[in-house]
Amino acid sequence: MTLIECPRESDVLDALASKRWPHRVDRELVDHVACCEICSDVLVVAAAMQEDRDATWREANVPSSGQVWWRAEMRVRHEAIRAASRPITFAYIAAASIALTLMASVGWFAWPAMHGFLSAIASTQVSELSSPVILPLLVALGALLVVAPVALYLVLSDE
Amino acid sequence: MFTRDMTFTDVERLDRIAAEAIETFVMDEDAFRAFYDRTARSVWSYLARITGDRALADDLLQESYYRFLRAERRFDSESHRRNYLFRIATNLAHDRRRRGRHAVSVPVPAENEPGALVDRSDLAAETERRTDLSRAMATLKPREREMLWLAYAQGSSHEEIAESLGLRKASIKILLFRARRRLAAALGGNRA
Repeated sequence: MTLIECPRESDVLDALASKRWPHRVDRELVDHVACCEICSDVLVVAAAMQEDRDATWREANVPSSGQVWWRAEMRVRHEAIRAASRPITFAYIAAASIALTLMASVGWFAWPAMHGFLSAIASTQVSELSSPVILPLLVALGALLVVAPVALYLVLSDE
Repeated sequence: MFTRDMTFTDVERLDRIAAEAIETFVMDEDAFRAFYDRTARSVWSYLARITGDRALADDLLQESYYRFLRAERRFDSESHRRNYLFRIATNLAHDRRRRGRHAVSVPVPAENEPGALVDRSDLAAETERRTDLSRAMATLKPREREMLWLAYAQGSSHEEIAESLGLRKASIKILLFRARRRLAAALGGNRA
């Protein structure tokens, strides 16, 4: 059965961490490490890693805590605002889609009647336009085309 | 697309929502800054070592602390908080690896600063040893790298390693043994 731990591992790690290895430790520990596979592995790995850690710490150029906090604040603010704005945008998109669908449906069903009406206008003499029925109808239609977008804007925008 | 000008009420409302979001941070600014100052270098070193990419470590460091701040949980102790932070960092590194944006390459130690040349006569030997470690680490599985770094560079206990990596404490001993053996062999220390 392979042993996977040794009771002296912690002694080796303590000696390394306190920079006592190899000159300021008991001779007995040095002898033990020389003949214990587990402790010699621990020594090789831990010594290499601790040296690397010390060097990496010296090289680490981390941003300041204030900078990280400020960025986190900005980001959470931005995300919260974006999330809160989402329902408004959705409502507008839904309203616009419904309006367009309605307009298309009305246009589809009213097209034969409109087509007949437009054909009648096209075949009408200019003199007939002064008729008491046709002229006000055309003026009302023109006014509707101008007023409708303005009304739509006023309804959808705030005061 | 319909657009709408924001009213004063909207601005006030969104400002209030933003302020409330900041209040959900896991700690206040003073506590965070103290915690960051205690942990940032070790988190960065860990990320740089397990990803082998310093620029990526910079990005993941910021992201780790942001996610930590937004964690919806309470911590019993400093150790618990710290382990949770390392867990976030580990998961972020795994995500990046899965997405394949940064395949882990052989991490090469950075050049030392010129000032250090004057102070360190054994600089060349140290650089060589670190390069050997980088190459040896690159032969290990990501989980093994993480485990070894936490155990031997940071001095974490088995329980802390389990918490940081999301593993069962009972499995740490054998996994650590295998990883250590492989690294020691790769470093030319002992048998594989």
